[in-house]
Amino acid sequence: MVLSAIILTPLAALFLTLLIPARNDKAIKAVSALAGAVTVALAAYVWFKFDPYSTARYQLVERVEWVPTFGISYYLGVDGIGVLMTMLNAIVFLTGALSMWRLELRVKEYFAFMLTLVIGVFGVFVSLDLFFFFFFYEVAVLPMYPLIAVWGSTRKEYAAMKLTLYLMAGSALLFPALLSIYYKSGLNTFDMVALSGHKFSEAYQIFVYPFIYIGFGVLAGMFPVHGWSPTGHVAAPTAVSMLHAGVLMKLGAFGILRVAMPLLPAGAAYWNGPFAALATCNIVYGALVALKQDDFKFVIGFSSVSHMGIVLLGINMLTIDGMGGAVFQMFAHGVMTALFFSAVGFIYDQAHTRDIHEFGGLSKHVPIASAFFIIAGLCGMGVPGFASFWAELLVFIAAVKTMPLFGVLAVVGLIISALFMLRVLKHAFFGPANPKWQGLRDVTAWDALPRAILIAVLILFGFIPRLALALIASSVRALAGGI
Amino acid sequence: MSSGTLALLCTHAPLVGCFGALVVLRRAPRAAAALNILAMLASLGAALAIFAGSNHQPPTIISLWLSSEGVPISFGFLLDGTNQLMGIIVALIALCIQVYSLGYMKGDPGYARYFGLHGLFAWAMLSFVYSANLLQAFVFWELVGLASFLLIGFWFEKPSAAAAAKKAFVMTRIGDVGMFIGLILLLSSTSTLDIAQLMQASTLASIPDARLTLIALLLFCGVVGKSAQFPLHTWLPDAMEGPTPVSALLHSATMVAAGVFLYARFHPLFVAAEGVSNIVLVIAIITAILAATIAMVQRDMKRVLAYSSISQLAFMLLGLGAGSLYAGVFHLTTHAFFKALLFLCAGAYIHQIGSNDMVTMGRQGAAKLRLVSAGLVIGAAALAGLPPLAGFFSKESILAALHGAHANAFVYGAYLASFLTAYYTFRMVFLVLRPSDKSVLPAEEHEPHPHGDVTGSMKLPIAILTVGAAAAGFAGDFIAKLIGAKALHPTYGEMAPAIGIALAGVIVAFFEFGRKDAAQQGFITRVGALDTLFERKYYLDEIYDKVAGGLVSLIASVSAVVERGVLDGTGDLAGNLTIATGDATARMQSGRLQLYIGSAVLLIVVFCYFVGGY
Repeated sequence: MVLSAIILTPLAALFLTLLIPARNDKAIKAVSALAGAVTVALAAYVWFKFDPYSTARYQLVERVEWVPTFGISYYLGVDGIGVLMTMLNAIVFLTGALSMWRLELRVKEYFAFMLTLVIGVFGVFVSLDLFFFFFFYEVAVLPMYPLIAVWGSTRKEYAAMKLTLYLMAGSALLFPALLSIYYKSGLNTFDMVALSGHKFSEAYQIFVYPFIYIGFGVLAGMFPVHGWSPTGHVAAPTAVSMLHAGVLMKLGAFGILRVAMPLLPAGAAYWNGPFAALATCNIVYGALVALKQDDFKFVIGFSSVSHMGIVLLGINMLTIDGMGGAVFQMFAHGVMTALFFSAVGFIYDQAHTRDIHEFGGLSKHVPIASAFFIIAGLCGMGVPGFASFWAELLVFIAAVKTMPLFGVLAVVGLIISALFMLRVLKHAFFGPANPKWQGLRDVTAWDALPRAILIAVLILFGFIPRLALALIASSVRALAGGI
Repeated sequence: MSSGTLALLCTHAPLVGCFGALVVLRRAPRAAAALNILAMLASLGAALAIFAGSNHQPPTIISLWLSSEGVPISFGFLLDGTNQLMGIIVALIALCIQVYSLGYMKGDPGYARYFGLHGLFAWAMLSFVYSANLLQAFVFWELVGLASFLLIGFWFEKPSAAAAAKKAFVMTRIGDVGMFIGLILLLSSTSTLDIAQLMQASTLASIPDARLTLIALLLFCGVVGKSAQFPLHTWLPDAMEGPTPVSALLHSATMVAAGVFLYARFHPLFVAAEGVSNIVLVIAIITAILAATIAMVQRDMKRVLAYSSISQLAFMLLGLGAGSLYAGVFHLTTHAFFKALLFLCAGAYIHQIGSNDMVTMGRQGAAKLRLVSAGLVIGAAALAGLPPLAGFFSKESILAALHGAHANAFVYGAYLASFLTAYYTFRMVFLVLRPSDKSVLPAEEHEPHPHGDVTGSMKLPIAILTVGAAAAGFAGDFIAKLIGAKALHPTYGEMAPAIGIALAGVIVAFFEFGRKDAAQQGFITRVGALDTLFERKYYLDEIYDKVAGGLVSLIASVSAVVERGVLDGTGDLAGNLTIATGDATARMQSGRLQLYIGSAVLLIVVFCYFVGGY
């Protein structure tokens, strides 16, 4: 029942939030933070309960028939990948709620939408029924529009609309493809485990696979349909950027791993070359565009495009190293971007600008708040000692072995990531202190808490990568073995 | 204690110091400094204890990091002679420099942070040195780079320091990318990254020739970046923007030596790879001469020493490239002592006089600092290769290695570089210690800003290192035994020209800079074009900036335009088209009855035409 509990915790928090009067905003924030802490605890429980050496691929399974006529059931279960992603979402949820402690505008509505988003994301990570998977997927995507359009900044209506249209276009590719899988199998079930046992004809797989890959790929920030993501990141308020880049983009990659690849292995094997090429574009092109951005959040947005390219490249290697690295990168990047946006949010809330040239010497005025951003930046450059180093390492090992050209290009991308990250550090945090920002106050212990949690996670997995890799090893092996 | 525990203590004690200084003791700078020095003492003790143990033991595995396609990659320590030696050097020099920093950094608002970063560096560097496998070495190699980045940018408010830190990181990373790819290729060719295993002849023989050459060249890229060899050397002189003790520790004695050390570690691989040693020799000789010529015309004392480091690192590679592990490691050891010493002397002058400019130092009476000046002269003589000081023996062994490899062209190149070394070193000594009334050199534009007197904590390390720079040369046979390589004993016939050349360099420098009433003008000023070329560092910075920097910037701009114009543009176009279509069709609902009837009639006619066929 623990998986249901994970979904129900934010749901309960959502109802509570709706019941609390809007003026009592401290209580609303506390409810969300508490729910976040509870989900972290539950995710930790799942982590320890999950046995990576068991032969059962999906564990902690719950199943209730729902609409037998169509073969729809409430079917939950996790493999190692699901466990890791659930933990990611719980961490980002908790730290995101804590990062919004100073929100004053329409607090109640804000947290209601955020909780809805969180429910959807948890649902996707634990669903084994295709119907529920897609249902939760849409639940997660939809609250983005109001969250950005109401609480956002910088062309927020445009960004909200753009994001919604892109994601809807992705869903439009997905929906018919998923239905077609349902009919084509003839099994009259939405059970993904059962569907992955069915062998679809090769021609069919090759035809349908790109629909699903691209459909999910839009959400994963796949080149060239990534445009919504930097714009969306920039416009969204802090915690939404955190959830959005930290978790929501992972839903896309997760969908590819959970739906596209197990159900259509021949399709994956046929298309991996072209998609790996596009992923390489993500990495290099994303980093290049980031090099020319002046807005903090645009830099991070495009760096996300670049880092998600590493995830997609790893997935398309179809090897244990590659996919394992990709999954680890989903986690590492999630925590890292959450830290990025959390750190930028703290500065923006006071300075009301994000132009890196307007700052300068921030490390002088707000040393700790700056340290948070700098640490995230180091992580983004792939410096060892942080989780993402290992993730990228595995993907690069796989890529150089499997597709040397893309592998080498991706590794060279590391130089460009160093360039764009260091450019931001140099302009905004180093250099002569701009007296204009004398008045900025540095973080209090309470402000530091969410950021410190994220850093602790990055360093923990940076030194003990096996924690995550052992967890996902068998699941990744099963996935790679199926192709 | 087992050797594994000792190694863990040795490598991780500074990390405790780092954490303590950066997180816990931020507001107690003196305690932070004390903690780090204690940690460094513990490291040195542990390094000596490791050294006292056996030097033939299998690698200790501490924990498994990950496995790649079934190949386990773990964190552990290899405690053989080479690593034992390097560990002691790093710990000793780091300790000396931390003690020195007590005085040098006094009153700096970032005192605690400074010592914390030193701890970070020592942790990374020592863990790199004792690495049991190449991936671990790479991890800590990168962390050494990170510590270097943070220390160069220590005074981050200075734009030049911020820029230098960035440049150092990027330039070394270019090399690291090559090394990283080499690492992956090595892993896929041999299914192991264990250094001891990799260096076995059977493992190396199992790699196809062409592949081995490629791997060796890629690994060498990392060496070129880290050890600041041509063409990636330009970051090192700029790195002098950091505090002087940092330059002493990182950018001369230890961190930049990491590249050479890696080469020494993988010496069997580089020897086995066909054609690579020639490339190494060419790069090294170019670097040695290029850096020495630039050092000839600098006025900033730290920059002279920086270029000298580049040049001396190239000497080490010359020895290694000629096939002598002994010569390279020996020079690495002696260089660590005399170069750290020279930097600390420079730091003492800068501290007392408040200028990096050698002419200013001389005119402000640098010679009055007796102990420091004695250190400077001994360090300089060691660097110039004058007998019987440290640099003499190790440089002789490099020349002997080149002789032994019958690499005559390189021998002459090395002679030229040796001459230049002796010349620029003593030019420095005379400028600082023997100011001349007839000097044609103009005074500096800025007024010097003295920081304070040279403290006892600064003098002690200088004294210790002076002894090291004087005596380390006699450790040759000991080092050879420790690292298990054959010692080279050059013949008198081989030694004579080298001594003569070094003396010639000193004498020329004396006539031009050291005599009473010397004009203090180098012979190179007679050839204006060359003078300018050296002065402008062969225009390499400008070329890199314009060509490579410009190219990347151009591609990035094009990408940004594509993003805005093409990709976003298409998305916006689709959106706008939808809106326009909506607007256009909405106009049909105009409420005008005539339009409705007219279009209905038209549709009926069209319908009848198609259905009825007439």
